[in-house]
Amino acid sequence: MIEQRIGEVIEASSTQWTTGAYELLNAPPFGSLIKAGCYDNDLCIYGLVYDIRTGSRDLGGKAMVRGGRRYDGSEFYDGQIYSEHPDLAAVLQTEWSALVIGYERAGRIIHYLPPQPPTVHYSVHLCDDDTVERFTQHCDFFRMVLHANLPIADELLGTAIRHAAALQANRREYELYAGRELARLLRDDYDRLRVLVRMLTS
Amino acid sequence: MPLDFNQVGQQIKQMGGDLRQTANHHDQLVAHAWAKLEEQSPRWEHWARHAEDNYLRSPWLLAAPAEPIINRYQLPKFPPNYCLAAVDGSQIDLDRHWAVECYLINLGLVTIQYGQQPYSKLHSVPALHYNDQELLLRDKDGRSYKMAGALVHAERDTREGIALARLAQEILEQSTTPLVAMQDGTLIRWSLSGLDPWVRAHFLQRYLDEGLAALRAADVPTCSYISHPKAPEVTGIARLIVNPTLNNTSKAEGLVDPYPGINDTKLFGNGWLGDGERSALFKSLSKINVEEYRDHAIYFFYLNVGAELARIEMPEWVAQRPEWVDLIHAVAYDQAHRGGGYPVALARAHEQAVVRESDRRVFRQMIEQALWHARLNNGSSLKQDAKAQVRV
Repeated sequence: MIEQRIGEVIEASSTQWTTGAYELLNAPPFGSLIKAGCYDNDLCIYGLVYDIRTGSRDLGGKAMVRGGRRYDGSEFYDGQIYSEHPDLAAVLQTEWSALVIGYERAGRIIHYLPPQPPTVHYSVHLCDDDTVERFTQHCDFFRMVLHANLPIADELLGTAIRHAAALQANRREYELYAGRELARLLRDDYDRLRVLVRMLTS
Repeated sequence: MPLDFNQVGQQIKQMGGDLRQTANHHDQLVAHAWAKLEEQSPRWEHWARHAEDNYLRSPWLLAAPAEPIINRYQLPKFPPNYCLAAVDGSQIDLDRHWAVECYLINLGLVTIQYGQQPYSKLHSVPALHYNDQELLLRDKDGRSYKMAGALVHAERDTREGIALARLAQEILEQSTTPLVAMQDGTLIRWSLSGLDPWVRAHFLQRYLDEGLAALRAADVPTCSYISHPKAPEVTGIARLIVNPTLNNTSKAEGLVDPYPGINDTKLFGNGWLGDGERSALFKSLSKINVEEYRDHAIYFFYLNVGAELARIEMPEWVAQRPEWVDLIHAVAYDQAHRGGGYPVALARAHEQAVVRESDRRVFRQMIEQALWHARLNNGSSLKQDAKAQVRV
């Protein structure tokens, strides 16, 4: 399966990066596993998608209300607005943040921060099922998400675990494995643990 | 020391009152001018001839009506599919304080297609000029003219016209959707009027031959859109009607202006045109248009786009085709509505072309780096350096 090229890195640090989408409004779902390239060709960096947004390409630009009644009396809304204003595809940009949760070097996946961040303008791919399964076999990346100091960290991890569990041959066994790991990491924070476990079992 | 708003406030209040009085007076003048124009509208051919015979002697700018002066046209049926090509430009002028003499022209090119196959393409094309042939114009007598200030501006205007023709030709190779080519501002190169005749011809001939003539050869309805126009040419016809004997009066003696402070925006913007309506067509009688535009002489009409009055200009070969005038009328109105009062394609072209202050800084840094890499002396002036940073 060929992994889909969906955008390129437009801002990067060791812990997170921003991807600009090649196609307006076409972002991977929240919590998806994506990977970005690096000028060090041996290195590819993995991240979880969060904070998907669409706005003006121009700094300081702001979208304005465009739907409603036209001067000829017809009304247009939603998707029709994009047909009526084809230039929007060129002036709006969809982008999203990704939390770095590991990297791959020489075929080996490592659940730590990479030695280098992704390189700006390098491609970003959506990971296929095989890669997601391979990356999430071990739960070491849980710690990086929980400690990321993101307001949506629990939501992000819960979604990522659910994606991963759905791909496993034995989903129940993976959920138990993930649950045990979460219980270990959150042994001092029962409230957070309870919310996450509920996300996995709902 | 902050602005003293107590004092300024009183002055602003006074200004508001004075402006109201002036506006009332202007309303009376406009009503008088329209009374004259309506009365003489059936004799439009006479006044067209009279204006063309007298445009050089008149102290006021004139237009020649191409039809009864009071004609008005409702918004035509809107084309279900159309494509618009638009160009705008900006420049970084030659700065003698810089380490190297150069200038840059940045053109914003926009294609937007509406209808069943919506599509858009926005891009910009920067061009840097630095060698001697580009920095100095030389006429046949060996006189040279430095490319700076007004000449860089003229070059930019010329390039905009040529780029619009090329863009239109490219679009026509790929699409059969009705195409309109639109430029921002006037098609009449007023800015060339004050230049040396050789310099004027250098820019204008290229603009006419590679721009307007190429658009004509490609059969493209071509126009320009002027927001908030200040031209006084139709009001000039009313002035001529009031003072028809300009023949016997020299400019030096001066004439009393019967409509002081009135321009065409005040004339047509005073409820004369309803929403979407356009005025009659007029030919501009500015000297450069009459004497140098040949068969590309510029005509214009005024259009109420709802939010404001716009002036739409077009060459003669467009004005002579009523179906093209209708198409331009509809497209200009539609564009202004899509863009919240100003044509969206022109706004996009401007966004592509504009060179912001931050861009200028980066441009200068890049030049300095290039000189450094080439091991050339970065001899920018100390005055420029002093202005670039505050030393404390």
